[in-house]
Amino acid sequence: MSAINSPVQPLIAAIGQVLLGKEHQVKLALACLLARGHLLLEDLPGTGKTSLAEALARGFGLNFRRVSFTSDLLPADLTGLNIFDSQRSHFDFHPGPLFSQVLLADEINRASPRTQSALLEAMANGRVSVDGTSHPLPEPFLVIATQNGLDQGGTSPLPESQLDRFMMRLNLGFPARESERALLQGQALKATELASELTPAHLQALQQQVQTVHASPALLDYVLDLLARSRDTGRPGLPLSPRAGLALLAAARAWSLIAGRDHVLPEDVQAVLTPVCEHRLDGGQSRGEGGLSRRLLGAAGGLR
Amino acid sequence: MGLLTAAAWGVAPFSLLGGLSLSLLVLTALKLREAKQRREYRLVSLLQLVTAGLLGAQQGELGSSLLQGLAVLVALAGLLQLELGEVTNLGKLLRRSGQLVLAALPMALVLFLLFPRLGPFSDLGRLGQFGAAATTGLSTTLEPGTIATLTQDRSPAARVAFPGGGPPPASQRLWRVLVHGQFDGQSWRSLNAGMAGAGMAEADIAAGPDPSLGAPQTPGATQVWLSEPNGLPEVPWSGAGLPLDRHLKRDGQGQLRHDGSVGVRKLYSLAAEPAPATWRRQAPTAQDLQMAAGTNPRLETLAAGWRRQGSGDAQAVGGAKAVEGAKAVEGAKAVEGAKAVALAEAWFRQQGFRYSLSNPLLPETAPLDALLFEQRQGFCGHYASALSALMRAAGVPARVVSGYRGGTWVVPLGGSAFLDLRQSDAHAWSEVWIAGEGWRTVDPTLWVLGGTTGGDPAATSVQAPSAGADRAGPLDWVARQWWGLDLAWGEWWLGFDQRSQERLLQRLLGPYRDWAGALLLVAVALTLALGLAAYGWLRRRGEGDRLQQELNQLLRSCARGGLVPMPGETLGQFGQRLRQARPLLGPELEDFVGLLQQLRYGRPGAPQQQGLDRLSRCGQSLRRQLRRSPS
Repeated sequence: MSAINSPVQPLIAAIGQVLLGKEHQVKLALACLLARGHLLLEDLPGTGKTSLAEALARGFGLNFRRVSFTSDLLPADLTGLNIFDSQRSHFDFHPGPLFSQVLLADEINRASPRTQSALLEAMANGRVSVDGTSHPLPEPFLVIATQNGLDQGGTSPLPESQLDRFMMRLNLGFPARESERALLQGQALKATELASELTPAHLQALQQQVQTVHASPALLDYVLDLLARSRDTGRPGLPLSPRAGLALLAAARAWSLIAGRDHVLPEDVQAVLTPVCEHRLDGGQSRGEGGLSRRLLGAAGGLR
Repeated sequence: MGLLTAAAWGVAPFSLLGGLSLSLLVLTALKLREAKQRREYRLVSLLQLVTAGLLGAQQGELGSSLLQGLAVLVALAGLLQLELGEVTNLGKLLRRSGQLVLAALPMALVLFLLFPRLGPFSDLGRLGQFGAAATTGLSTTLEPGTIATLTQDRSPAARVAFPGGGPPPASQRLWRVLVHGQFDGQSWRSLNAGMAGAGMAEADIAAGPDPSLGAPQTPGATQVWLSEPNGLPEVPWSGAGLPLDRHLKRDGQGQLRHDGSVGVRKLYSLAAEPAPATWRRQAPTAQDLQMAAGTNPRLETLAAGWRRQGSGDAQAVGGAKAVEGAKAVEGAKAVEGAKAVALAEAWFRQQGFRYSLSNPLLPETAPLDALLFEQRQGFCGHYASALSALMRAAGVPARVVSGYRGGTWVVPLGGSAFLDLRQSDAHAWSEVWIAGEGWRTVDPTLWVLGGTTGGDPAATSVQAPSAGADRAGPLDWVARQWWGLDLAWGEWWLGFDQRSQERLLQRLLGPYRDWAGALLLVAVALTLALGLAAYGWLRRRGEGDRLQQELNQLLRSCARGGLVPMPGETLGQFGQRLRQARPLLGPELEDFVGLLQQLRYGRPGAPQQQGLDRLSRCGQSLRRQLRRSPS
C-alpha cells in the first residue's frame, strides 16, 4: 500500500482544498467516476454536495450542469427537444441539460417518477432518444444525484430497481471541527478556483486503466462469496444483484488504482462495499451507517 | 451451551456406579449449577469426560457402554461449542464430535488391546459396594415357601452363552448358585449367609490351584454369563469351569462368588477345565451331617429304618467313616450313600407324592413330617429339603443346592445365541455324598414327577408345571435380541482380559516370554504412527493450496498466543493488528503479508515458486519468533 505516485493524488489534494476534511468521500466519488458509475449523494442541504460535483467536473476539465428536480419537471426539460426551424423547414434538436459531462441532479426524489425514469434510462444507456432519433450522450458522462434524506416523506422515493443504477451512495456528513473552523476562516477554495492540469482525455485513459487492474481468482472468490452470502435466506437485507457484483468489482478496481496498485486486494473490496452495496441491501431505506454491509463482511468469514 | 452440558448430564447417571464416579458426578452437577464463565463450562465438560471414562472401566454392559458413548459424544459437542463459539446447530456439533471420536479410535484400539490389565483401573468395581438394594431372587435361607414365590416370577434371572459350542444337553442344565448346608429342622441356610467377604480366603484356598497367569494354553471362555442382580454375591454357574475374572472365586462347596457389588448386573466368563471340579471331591464336614434331632420324629424313624437295612448290607461298612465328624451323629453306624439314595428313590416313587405349586403352609413344628406323611404335595424346595434331611438322618452327608434348571435356548437375529434363565426356572435339589464318588446330584423332584435320576430328563421336564415357560410375547422377543447383542458385547469387551491379551501377543510375537519391552515399543510406535496419520489426515482435509497452508501455520502460531482473525478481517488488517500486539516481531511480518497478498491477488507474471519459497522462509522465521516471545 505504498502508492503516492498515483496520477490522481494531486487531484485528490486539490479537491481536498475545496471540500475540507472529506478526503475519503472525495476518493470514493473519484473511484465512482473512474469506474464509469453514477453517484447518489444523500445528505442535508449545505453539506457540499454541489461543491463536490463541481470540483470533480473541473478537476478533469469536464463541463458541468445542475438541474434542480421539482415535481413539475418534465422529461423533455432534461433531454431537450426538437424545435421547428421555419426558415429551413427542419426540426432542430436543442439538447437539454442532460447533455453535459457531469450532471448534478438536485433532489432527484422530488421529480415525478416519469422524469426520474427518463434520467435513469439515459444513465444506463448512454444515449437519449427524442422523437425517434437517438442522440449519444457525451463521454465521459457522470450523474451525481442528491436526495434529501430527511425529506423523503412527501416525494417520490427512488424504487429499488433504479437505485441499482447508481454505483455508489455516499453520505458526506458534517465536517470535523477543525475542518469546519478552517471553512469558517475562509480557507476553503471555491470549486471554480480549482486548478488542475488534467483533461477529459486523462479521465478516459484512467477509465481504461481501471478495467485492466488485475482481479485474481482468489479475489473473485471473495466477491462471489460476498454475493452468495447476501443471498442466503434468513439474512437481513435484499440480495445483491449481478449488476451489484459488477459495480462492486469495478469500484474496487478503481479504488486500488487510486491507491496505486495494479491488482485488487480484499481491502479494496471492503473499502467500497458500503457505498456500493448498502443502498442495494437496504432498498433505499437508510437504516444505519453501513450496518448491513458490515454484517455481510463478517458473514463472508475467513482471513482474505 | 449450558443446556447442552446439562443434557449430557441427563445421560450419565443411568450408568452410575462407584463411589468415585458418584462423587465426581455430584461435583460436576454442582459445578454446572454455579458455572458462569467459559472456563467453568469447560471444566464441567472435562469432568464429564473423566466420569464417563471411569464408568466405562466399571460397567461394560452394552447398554451402559452405549450410554457412556453418548455421554462422551455430547460432552465433546459441548466442548466444541465452547471452543468454536457461535455454532448452534446441534447436529453439526454432534457430527464433529463424532469425527473427533473416530480420529481417537485407532489410539483407543491400541490401548484396549495392549494396555496392561492391572492396577486400579480394572479394579474399580471393588469400590462399588454401596447401593446393594435387596432384589428378589434366591434366598440364603431355604424354607418351604420361598421358592414358590420365585416360581411365579417371570423376570429374567440370567443369560448364558456358550462360545465355541451349543447348549449343553438338557440333563446337564443345572445351574447352581447357593449351597445350603446348615439345617435346623425347619430351614436350610447357606453357610456364609449375608457375608460377602467372610470366609472367602479359606474357601478360595480350598478351591485348589488358583487359575493364575502361568497356565499355558489356557482355553478361551466356554461360558459367558450375564447375571441379573439378586442381592447375593453368589452367581450361577454350571459347577465346572475355570473363572476368567479376578473378581470370581470358587469355594469348597461349589459356589461361585463375585466380589463386585451385589446390586449390579454381572458379566463374567468361565473357561473349560479339563480336571473335574474340585468341590465334588471336597470331603464333607460335620456340618453336612448336622441334624436338629427330634424336630421331625417320623422322618427320623423312616431314616433309621433305612439305616438298619443298609447296615445289613455287608459292603456298606463305614461309608460315613470318611467323615470325621460323623461321630457327632447319634448312632455312629451309618449306611452307605448310594444304597441310601436307592432306598429313598424307591420310597419316594411309591408314595405317590404330588407336585404342586400352591400348598398349604406347613406347621412350625415338624414341618417335614407334615410334608412327607400328611400333606404329600409340594415342589422342588420341599422335596429337596426332605430328601437331604432324610439322608442326614440316615447318616449320609447331604445338603440342599438351589439355583436354576433348564432355561430357554434363544437364537437372536444378531449377537450370540444364549440360554435364557428366568426366575421361574429356579430350582432346588439335593447333593449326597457317595464315598468314592463325591457329591452326587440327586433331584427328588424328578422322582415325584416320575422321571429317572439323572437319566433322560427330556422325557420329564421339571418345567412342565411352571406353566408355559416359552410363551414369549413380542416384548420378550425384543428383550432377547437385545440380550444376545449384550452378551456378544460382553464376550469381547469384558472377556478381553490379561490372558486374552497374552494370547494375542504370543500369537503376534511368537512364544517369547520376555516381550514386555518389545510390546511397549510396538505399542508406542503404533500409537504414534496412527496418531500422526490421523493428524495428517485431518490437516490435509482442512487445507487447500500451499499458500493457505503457510497462512494456516502462521495462524496456528498466533492462535497459541491468543490472536485470532476476526470475522471479515483481511490479511492486511490482521497483519497490522499482529504488529500492534507484537511490536517486537521482525520485518518478516510485513514481508509475509506483502508476499502472500502478491501471490494470491497479484498478477500471475511473477515467478511463483520463488515467491512461495520466500513466503515459507518468512513464515518459519515468524513462527519461531512467535514461539520465543509468547506475549
